[in-house]
Amino acid sequence: MGESGDSESGDHRPPGRRPEKPSGRDPGADHAAFSALLEDSAEDLYEHAPCGYLSTLLDGTIAKINTTLLDWLGYDHGDLVGRRTFSDLLTVGGRLYHETHFGPLLRMQGEVSGIALELKATDGSRLPVLVTSTVKTGGDGQPLLIRTTVFDARDRRAYETELLRARQEAELEREELKRLNATLQQTLLPPTLVNVPGLDVAAHYHVASTDMVGGDFYDLFPLSAGTWGLFLGDVCGKGAAAAAVTSLARYTLRAAAVYDPDPAAVLGNLNTVLNHEYNGHDPRFCTVVFGLLTPEGGRGGFRITLASGGHPPALLLRADGSADHLHTPGGQLIGVLPDAHIATATVHLAAGDTLLLHTDGLTEARPDRARDADRYGDDALLDFARALAPTTASAAVAAIRDLLDTFGTGVDDDTAVIAINVPRPTSEEQP
Amino acid sequence: MTQLAIRTRTTPAGPVVELTGELDYDSYTQVRELLPGLALLEGQQLVVDLAGVTFCDSSGITALLAARNHALAARAGIALAAVPGHISRIFHMVGLDQVFTTHPTAQEAEAAWTPPSTHP
Repeated sequence: MGESGDSESGDHRPPGRRPEKPSGRDPGADHAAFSALLEDSAEDLYEHAPCGYLSTLLDGTIAKINTTLLDWLGYDHGDLVGRRTFSDLLTVGGRLYHETHFGPLLRMQGEVSGIALELKATDGSRLPVLVTSTVKTGGDGQPLLIRTTVFDARDRRAYETELLRARQEAELEREELKRLNATLQQTLLPPTLVNVPGLDVAAHYHVASTDMVGGDFYDLFPLSAGTWGLFLGDVCGKGAAAAAVTSLARYTLRAAAVYDPDPAAVLGNLNTVLNHEYNGHDPRFCTVVFGLLTPEGGRGGFRITLASGGHPPALLLRADGSADHLHTPGGQLIGVLPDAHIATATVHLAAGDTLLLHTDGLTEARPDRARDADRYGDDALLDFARALAPTTASAAVAAIRDLLDTFGTGVDDDTAVIAINVPRPTSEEQP
Repeated sequence: MTQLAIRTRTTPAGPVVELTGELDYDSYTQVRELLPGLALLEGQQLVVDLAGVTFCDSSGITALLAARNHALAARAGIALAAVPGHISRIFHMVGLDQVFTTHPTAQEAEAAWTPPSTHP
C-alpha cells in the first residue's frame, strides 16, 4: 500500500493511543500525568468511543445507545431509546438474518461475535458493520439485557469488494487465455480437410486441457501430379513453447513435401530444421508419420508410402475384417540427432481398407482415471481396431471419439486421429 | 500430481542419478533443473538409473535427451541402467535404443566405464 509512516504519524490520534513512555519512571507520577491528559470519564468514553454501543432489553427494545452510533446513523437519542428495537435499525435482509440466526445463537450461547450486518441510516444510506453481542445476566443467572458493540466495517467491505473485483478480473483473463489457446490450436490444424477424389477422410482433435495448447498436429494437402501428402505428429510437451515447435513442424513439412515429396526426405528435412533450432538443456522434438498418397489408376485404390520418425505405428483395418499395426521399425525421433534414421513402409489401400493414424494421447490415457491407473496401451487399441474392422473413415474416427469420451478425464494429453478409407464401390454396398 | 524422487550419488566413474516414480510432463523439469548442478568431468560417465521409473512419456524422453546433451557438452559419456521393459519398448519405437548405451544395473554401467587414457 502507498501509505508512508509519515502520513500515519500525522493522523489525529486520541490521547489514549499515544505511544507508551519509556519505562523506569515513577509509576505514580505517570498515572497522574495520564489522568490529567485523558480528562476522561467513563461516561465520555462510552458516548464517544470509536465504536457504537447499545444495550437492548430482551425483547430488543433499545435501552441505551451511545453518541457515536447515533451520529453514524443520524438519529437523536429520543428517536430510539424506548421506542425502537435493534432489529428496526437493520436492512430487511439483516433483520431476517437477525431473527433466524443472530437471535437464536445469542440465546443459546450468551454471545455472538463478529457478525456482518448492514444498518440503515436516516438518510437512507447503508452502513456495513460488524456486530458483537453478549447477554448480561443477573446474580441468579437470568438474562437481563443484551450489550452490543458495533464496528464500522466500511473499509473491510471495500476490501472485500476489491477482492471480488480482482477475482472476477482474473476469471475474465483466464477466459481470454482459454480463447487464445483455442485460436492458437486452430491455427495448427487445417480448418477443413481437403477433398481427395476416391478417398474418404475424417479427423478428430481431442483437447485434453483448455488451459494449455497441446502439441499434436495433422494435415492433408495436394502435391503435384495427382498425389497427396498426409501427416500426423506430436510435439513433446505442451503450452506455448510446444505450439511454436508445432507451427514450425507443420510449415516445414508442407514446404519440404513440395521440394521433394519422398516421405523419408520430407522427415529428414524436418529433422535437420528442428535439430538446428533446438538443442541443449531444452531439447524439442516430435514424432511424425508422413504419407505420400498416390492413386493407382488401373488397380484402383491408393498406394501409400509412410515414413515414420518415432511415431506409434499406424493401424490398417482391412476390408476383410482383419486389422494390424503397420510397423515402421527403427524410425527415430525427429529433431534429436543430426542424422535421424527414418523408417518407411509401403502399403496398398484397396476398396474397403482404412488406415488410421493416431497420437499417443489415446494409448497413454488411463481408462480408470485414477492417477496411478493402468494406461490404455497399444494392444488394447489393436483389439479395438480388430473389433471395428471393416469400417470407414468417419465410422473409425467416430468410434475413437466415443472411446475418448468413455475415458473422460483419464485422457491427460491431447489426441489427434486421422483416418483415410477407400470407399467400396456403390454396387457392393447395395447387394 | 505425480511424484518423482531423485537421488544422486558420486562414483569414481561419474555421477549416478536414480529416478523413482513417473517421469512425465509434471516431473521432467526436476531432472532438467538438476543437470546444471551435476559435477561431471570430461571423460567421466553420467549414469541414469531408471529401475524405479513406472512411467515415461515424451516429456520424460525430453529429460533423458537433456541429460544426454548435458553429458556430451561436458565431453562425458552417458549410460542408462536398469531400463524397465515398458521404457525399452518406447525407446525401440522412437529409435532411442540406438542412441543410449544401456546396462542391466548401475553397478555394471560403472564397471563398464573405462577411465580416459592419459596418452592421446
